[in-house]
Amino acid sequence: MTLSRRGFLNAAALGTAGTFASDMTRLDLLRQTSWADEVKKQGKRVILLWLAGGASQFETFDPKPGRPTGGPYRAIPTSATGVHISELLPKMAARIQQTTAIIRSLNTKNADHGGGATIMETGRIKDPGIEYPDLGAICAKELGRLDSAVPDYVSMYTSTEGRRKGTSGFLGSRYAPMFLSESMQPENIRRLESISDIDHQDRLALRDLLAKKFTQNRHSDSLGSHTQAYQRVRGLMASEKLFDIEQESTEIRAKYGPTQFAQQCLIARRLVEAGVPFVKVARAWWDSHGENFETHRELCADLDHSMSVLLDDLRDRGLLEHTLILTFGEFGRTPNINASLGRDHFAAAWSATLSGCGVRGGACFGKTDEDGHKVADGEVGAGDLFATIFTALGIDPNKEYHVGARPVPLSDFGAKPIKDVLA
Amino acid sequence: MPSDPTKLQKTKDIGIPSIAMCVARVPNSGRLIFGSSDFKLHEIDVFAEKPQPTPFGGEGHQSYVTGVVLPAPNVAVSGSYDGQLIWWDVEKREPTRKVKAHELWIRRLVISPDGKTIASVADDMQCKLWNAETGEMLRQFSDHKPITPHDFPSMLHAVAFSPDGKFLATGDKVGHVAIWEATSGSKVATVEAPGLYTWDPRQRRHSIGGIRALAFSPDSKWIAVGGIGQIGNIDHLDAPARIEIFDWQKGERKHELNNDKFKALVEDLVFDPSGKWLLSSGGAGDGFVTFTDVETGKPIHQDKLPMHVHQLALNESYDTVFAVGHHKIAVCEFKATEPPAASEPAKP
Amino acid sequence: MRFFCRINLVALWLLSIVVSLNGAELPSANLPIEQVIDQFVQQRLDTAKVAPSPQADDANVLRRLMLDVAGRIPTSEEAKTYAANRSAAKRVELVDRLLASPDFFWHQRNELERMLLPNKPNDGEFRKYLLWAVKENRSWDAMFRDMLVGDEADENRQPALTFIKSRARDLDDMLNDTAILFFGVNVTCAKCHDHPLTPDWKQHHYFGMASFFSRTYVTKKNLLAERPFGEVKFKSKRKDDTKGEQTAKFEFLTGAIVEEPVVERSADDIKKIEETIKASMQKDDAPPPEKPAFSPREKLVEVALRAEDNRFFARNIVNRVWDRFFGRGLVHPVDQLHAANAASHPELLDWLTRDMVAHGYDLKRLIRGIVLSQAYSRSSEWTAGSQFPDAALFAVANVKPLTPRQYSLSLLVAVNNPTQWPALDQAEPWTTRREQLENTSNGWAGSFEMPGESFHVAVDEALLFSNNKRIEDEFLRDSGDRLVGHLKSLGDNQAVIEAAVLTICSRPPRGDERAALDDFLQKRSADRLAAIRQLVWVLLTGPEMRFSY
Repeated sequence: MTLSRRGFLNAAALGTAGTFASDMTRLDLLRQTSWADEVKKQGKRVILLWLAGGASQFETFDPKPGRPTGGPYRAIPTSATGVHISELLPKMAARIQQTTAIIRSLNTKNADHGGGATIMETGRIKDPGIEYPDLGAICAKELGRLDSAVPDYVSMYTSTEGRRKGTSGFLGSRYAPMFLSESMQPENIRRLESISDIDHQDRLALRDLLAKKFTQNRHSDSLGSHTQAYQRVRGLMASEKLFDIEQESTEIRAKYGPTQFAQQCLIARRLVEAGVPFVKVARAWWDSHGENFETHRELCADLDHSMSVLLDDLRDRGLLEHTLILTFGEFGRTPNINASLGRDHFAAAWSATLSGCGVRGGACFGKTDEDGHKVADGEVGAGDLFATIFTALGIDPNKEYHVGARPVPLSDFGAKPIKDVLA
Repeated sequence: MPSDPTKLQKTKDIGIPSIAMCVARVPNSGRLIFGSSDFKLHEIDVFAEKPQPTPFGGEGHQSYVTGVVLPAPNVAVSGSYDGQLIWWDVEKREPTRKVKAHELWIRRLVISPDGKTIASVADDMQCKLWNAETGEMLRQFSDHKPITPHDFPSMLHAVAFSPDGKFLATGDKVGHVAIWEATSGSKVATVEAPGLYTWDPRQRRHSIGGIRALAFSPDSKWIAVGGIGQIGNIDHLDAPARIEIFDWQKGERKHELNNDKFKALVEDLVFDPSGKWLLSSGGAGDGFVTFTDVETGKPIHQDKLPMHVHQLALNESYDTVFAVGHHKIAVCEFKATEPPAASEPAKP
Repeated sequence: MRFFCRINLVALWLLSIVVSLNGAELPSANLPIEQVIDQFVQQRLDTAKVAPSPQADDANVLRRLMLDVAGRIPTSEEAKTYAANRSAAKRVELVDRLLASPDFFWHQRNELERMLLPNKPNDGEFRKYLLWAVKENRSWDAMFRDMLVGDEADENRQPALTFIKSRARDLDDMLNDTAILFFGVNVTCAKCHDHPLTPDWKQHHYFGMASFFSRTYVTKKNLLAERPFGEVKFKSKRKDDTKGEQTAKFEFLTGAIVEEPVVERSADDIKKIEETIKASMQKDDAPPPEKPAFSPREKLVEVALRAEDNRFFARNIVNRVWDRFFGRGLVHPVDQLHAANAASHPELLDWLTRDMVAHGYDLKRLIRGIVLSQAYSRSSEWTAGSQFPDAALFAVANVKPLTPRQYSLSLLVAVNNPTQWPALDQAEPWTTRREQLENTSNGWAGSFEMPGESFHVAVDEALLFSNNKRIEDEFLRDSGDRLVGHLKSLGDNQAVIEAAVLTICSRPPRGDERAALDDFLQKRSADRLAAIRQLVWVLLTGPEMRFSY
């Protein structure tokens, strides 16, 4: 049986017969995308500020001043008329109208760190039958280039608590994150001094030559990925300097300041500027079961400053309209203030923000009830948030991947983008 | 009548709808005025048959009320996270004066032994002295860095007057204590208690703890500093309640007390006027009281309390403690001998 | 999740099924396994008019066998000996030697571990159990019972319960992993709705399976326990449903229902039992909970293994073993063992399943049969020029990425001085050596990704090999115990190339390869040691080393 390429693709898409469809494990990497789609996505970047451990919506973007659940902090007006946020975020308050949309009505149902994180990383509930890629891997695939010389998914998580690397799931290791945990320099990106640059290059070339003989008559995607991985080595090594903030002017470095999170935000900016499509900066650990207010006083100061400087810097460089900045973690925190003046895990009514690319600044979507126990208006789940993110980036949220015969849409079945927060 | 800490027993346990953050007691009575998480001051007579808190009215605070003192009969002064000091007519339960006192959250108020001066500390890292009668600011001073060594905002939680009124101590988040001459505002000594500050550089990358309570010994020579010891998992108040006692004039640490019975934060410290014991209280999930022998540094007696305690008030004879905290007020007696009518509350 | 399964599997599979032989006689049970395999695989190739790729050469077969059965590449000595052996029975001899060797024990343990406890690698206790079971050649049904019912008091079998304990926090994990790993069935879809395309799976199947696990819990002292009561309730999501909330029965995948004897308990009794359970979950010193008279997990094992309901258990393990050696199941994917997803060789699967049951679930027996078949030892090269054949035909060998463990062990074997291995006939020192290798490989195994469906090698791995100091220090060191140390002692370049290729690739160098490597060495004669190091690096990082082919 012979099929034209077009026919072949159709057969694959429809899941009808043919050699392709009978191979159930294969991921369909051959889907065509229209030219218009490509243009929409061009040059789009994402920075995810992952608030690991679960930041309190009360002390950030959904304050309830004066309510029994509200805690001691005041709400302050923002540059967006009628939108108030916690006084712990004064710098962000001045930037809401210009840059940021707030979603206050997330109900993601799972208030367990691992389970919640899986949902918020992949935009859907864990399914034992399939390993979903996370947002970073999807964006790397959708926004990156296959032969990219820069990494296309960089994930920073330096604290050890709740450390998660991220996963490319069924998209395969090609889209796995370059993971920075112990140091802000990626591992193994620098040539050892014991080998000259020429030798380093020559041995790779010889390796490639010998490998070709082996791969010639053997068919396997995995085999191809092995060749490709070695072919990307030199390019990635050239991106080493992107991780070095010493390359920035003293003035810029002073603006970002001394905290590690801020410095990682600066690296994130350097990376997106160089064309890295997805950077995740995890700020751990917000899990304030005790001393919630003191914890948030520290961490919100860090978030407020770092995020504001990052937004300003991106704006100054003309990058903000192409870069989507996200803040959320695995869940929010309870309305109830416990005896240790802490707040516990809570996923039933919490907040996330989107800033920059494709976002309607100053938009504030959804409402929680007066004490923040439940979503009162505009309840959305992780899938809807992901559909919104994809739409903001010009990616069709209904686009499907195929894992074997299973169609898997980018955002969960039934998820809808939140139009109110989109530009 | 001498007290006996080993006779400690809880005599009252009163539920309240909010979290009581601070308390002052009307002399010679069971009337407590407490500030709470509902932004209000309340009055409650714990010896009443059915004690009920009555809120103060009028335009009050805009945040948690974290300090209250009673400088004169019928006068209360409160401080709050909203940065204001408010003078109140206690009878009418209405504000009589408001002062914008601090840029950031007021953490504690204390009053001088003569009742004339109020000291406030706040997260602007300033200690300010106020004329208790006129509301006039007398002076301000600080020896506390606004940013911790780890580049986060610091906090100034604790302040205490010495019993002779000559000195004042302030203690901050990173464990730094400054001792001041009250009248001149000049710094006379510093003491360091870094063991009360936990910075987690690796697992969770933020901090917890700090000095939460300060008290001078009756002779004013020693100062006790309270908080919580080094915490492994800073998500929780999961370390021994910790007290350090210094001879501040000599700069010597006399005792370092890590309570092996209670993992909790020390929120308040009170010396017995005779100087025999030091009472500490506070909590985590629930609360505790510990009497420590000042001489040996060993606990004399300790017990659980049903709630995390935020502040204590003692009676004139130092044998009854009124503790306020998380949705509860508790009264405990520790009288040396069982007085015949003590179990029946005195009727006004 | 709701529409996952909407593609018409039935239509798809009907096309790939040759002829249904349902009802026809299976070949004699007395035939050798390998013969039956080859007979059925050939039949399907004939029908499809596909000529399979030729048998792989000796060196290739040895390498594949070693990786699949021993979990490592052969030493150069093993490669030389095998090449020199002229006996017609040398493959059988090799297989029998390997299956009795410590290499097999460890490898079989590693493979079972990655299948059964993938998310909790290197659990010392569980590994100890597996090694014990493998050495005993414990039957698969007994292992199933060890893992699901177990015995907290039996020293050897007790750690098997880690299988359930490590999943006990989550009912879904317990039931899904049990269903997937032991029955080859993924009932996840059925949690929310009847499976749209697989008439086999209804919602009540999912909740039926759930009911077997819903009473399971782990005490504070980490003992596995079951409550004496408790029900699973569910509600159909179908719009036309009128039943409302239903109580799940103890229902196996075949529809078989286990009835629980009715026990009358007063409210007081229930309260007491609840309190005991609560105490056992909270307190270290609480007495261990009493084993209930009715144990749902025990019942599940009983039902799944009894002849009339053993439609899944035996087939699943046959299919999984096949998948491991061929890189693809007879039923594929391996968790889709249901009527709508027929096997590529249904009669073969039936025959092998019958053989598995008849011979007491002896995994070693099946492995031996598979690796002695001609289907197993085909070349992985497809040079016929025609279209690459359907994978379900097994016309050409699959290229399989090594597991982290296989890769680490093989790298360690390759970089060792090839003259310094204990002789293979010396069982004692070899056992010690293998154990050492196993331990050393722990550190490396964590550096590599476990291959799953559609596995891609991450660029991190290429960067690790390119720039990590450990690679240089441990793999390219020129000390006497290392390959580089051995090579530098050799006189001429040809000898270096011969030895390097034999040690790393288990074969003599090809002509073009010899020329390229010789050229590389000659151009770097000024620093011969560095040149040898790079040469070893080139071979170590090659695809031949990364994959079983």
